[in-house]
Amino acid sequence: MRSSKLFAALLCVSGAFAGVLPRIDLPKDSPVAVISSDYGESNETARGGAMLLDLHAALTLRNSSQRRIRGITFLVTAQDVTPGGKGSVTVTSLDVAPFETFPLHIDLRLLRPLPAMSGAPVQIGLDGVLFDDLSFYGTDKLGSRRTLTLSEFEARRDRKYFKSLVAEGGPERLRREILESMTHSLDRPTLDVQMVRGGRATNFEPEKQVQFAFLRLPDSPIDPMGGMARIAGNEARAPRLEVKNKSDRPIRYLEIGWILEDHGGRQFLAGSVPAELNLAPGQKSQILENATLKFPTRGGQPLTIDGMTGFVSSVEFADGTLWIPSRADLGTPQLQRVMAPSDEEQRLIQIYRKKGLQALIAELNKF
Amino acid sequence: MTHPSEIQLALMAGNDLSFWDRWRVRRHVSTCAVCSREVQALRTASEQVREVTGDLPQNLNWNQLAGEMSANIRLGLAAGEAIARFDKPSLTGHPRRLGWNAAMVVACATVVFGAAFWINLPRPQMDHLLSAFTRVRTERIGKLVQHPVTAAEDVMLSASSLSLDLSQNGRTLSLMHPRSDAVTVSASMRGSVSVRYVDADTGQVTTNKVYDAEQ
Repeated sequence: MRSSKLFAALLCVSGAFAGVLPRIDLPKDSPVAVISSDYGESNETARGGAMLLDLHAALTLRNSSQRRIRGITFLVTAQDVTPGGKGSVTVTSLDVAPFETFPLHIDLRLLRPLPAMSGAPVQIGLDGVLFDDLSFYGTDKLGSRRTLTLSEFEARRDRKYFKSLVAEGGPERLRREILESMTHSLDRPTLDVQMVRGGRATNFEPEKQVQFAFLRLPDSPIDPMGGMARIAGNEARAPRLEVKNKSDRPIRYLEIGWILEDHGGRQFLAGSVPAELNLAPGQKSQILENATLKFPTRGGQPLTIDGMTGFVSSVEFADGTLWIPSRADLGTPQLQRVMAPSDEEQRLIQIYRKKGLQALIAELNKF
Repeated sequence: MTHPSEIQLALMAGNDLSFWDRWRVRRHVSTCAVCSREVQALRTASEQVREVTGDLPQNLNWNQLAGEMSANIRLGLAAGEAIARFDKPSLTGHPRRLGWNAAMVVACATVVFGAAFWINLPRPQMDHLLSAFTRVRTERIGKLVQHPVTAAEDVMLSASSLSLDLSQNGRTLSLMHPRSDAVTVSASMRGSVSVRYVDADTGQVTTNKVYDAEQ
């Protein structure tokens, strides 16, 4: 924090970029502290009748708690620029021991009309920290507790799976699996997406109602019973789903993954339909969302949505425990085609790419 | 024990209470000696008054009374004819639609009755009724989960392999990420879009997200 203030003072003295620096607000009892901050190439330039602020923050944080940090979420706001919204930067699959330091990069751009308001244009605050014992610290305004815990559950599932591969087939079996995962990652279609709330179709194509098909995962505590959404060209909006709790425990949150299929039979994961609810065992519920997703084309043939498939991607029970699909579930051909690897799998692939198989096995053995 | 009011007892003695109130007051009176005596006294007084008013006055002139009654009947008939002429539809205009008028009256009466019923229904009974309706609905089509939309209509979220943008009224907040093969773009219908990538420098898995509303 001291160096950040020093840097701010230097900027003020030099008169350059004084309005660029963000305000970092951490609570007094925060389990992380800012050790240093570098705003290297940050600048603010006039762009017609507006100012364009380019902020590149490289922060060094220290775990000042007594527990290992597994994930962290920072809230980014610019109230005078976008009063209706906010951003966040989350780092998952961490393993930061007490008093260890770790980096955090935040790169953002603000386009704001002149005259710019005085004071820090951007505020950065802590939304939540997840520790290795699954305890949580933070205001949780963005639902970080659930996001970070889900990611940690996936990380544990995937490490266990990769370790089992080594135990069964040795390092070569692990290598094959990692290479397969990398291939799937490259083959997986990705699309840009735009979203507005309550929007209506802006396309010329006539709107039609399309029924969901469902991919039923055997162990899922939720039974998706039916659903539909309105489709017009490359826009999908207003999904309506009906689900039933087939477990013997009440459920308070669920997320349905949403796979779209285009005219040529190509499938891609469009997003998710989450729902906070209170669903007793055996009870049914309808989920409605009034938002529109649009998938602009990056050149080539314009996308035409032709079909939809839903699947249960996560469930939180009333007692706080979570259900996520197993590795066997993710191995079904349809999910394998569209699902991205988990955060942890991505990190492990990165270790394999940069340091090789032995480094990957050593990393797995740490846990 | 709460006794019925004097008015209720008087109405009970005169047999003028509504069905429900009559049942309630009678039930109380059957077990309460004080109220029972009161009702009995009121009934006795009522019978005495009826006996007194039942006696015809002395030297009644029947012919004069019959004349007055005939005059009143003629006057009533004349007034009825005058009103009937006034209300007669014209031959050139459209015929009155009595059916629609009646329907309108019935509809208004239903609304008034419904409103009065709803306003006067005690809270516990109202809750019971609502929960019964909800139970019937849940059994038929399940619970309904719809999240309130708190976002401004003009907020647009977009995610691409280059940046994540939150735009509102020509102003934009963008979270940037490096170009990478492993970028995963995702949208949540609750009002957020996200991009996940692996930071090449730190090896960290980072997820940037923009939201249009309070989560």
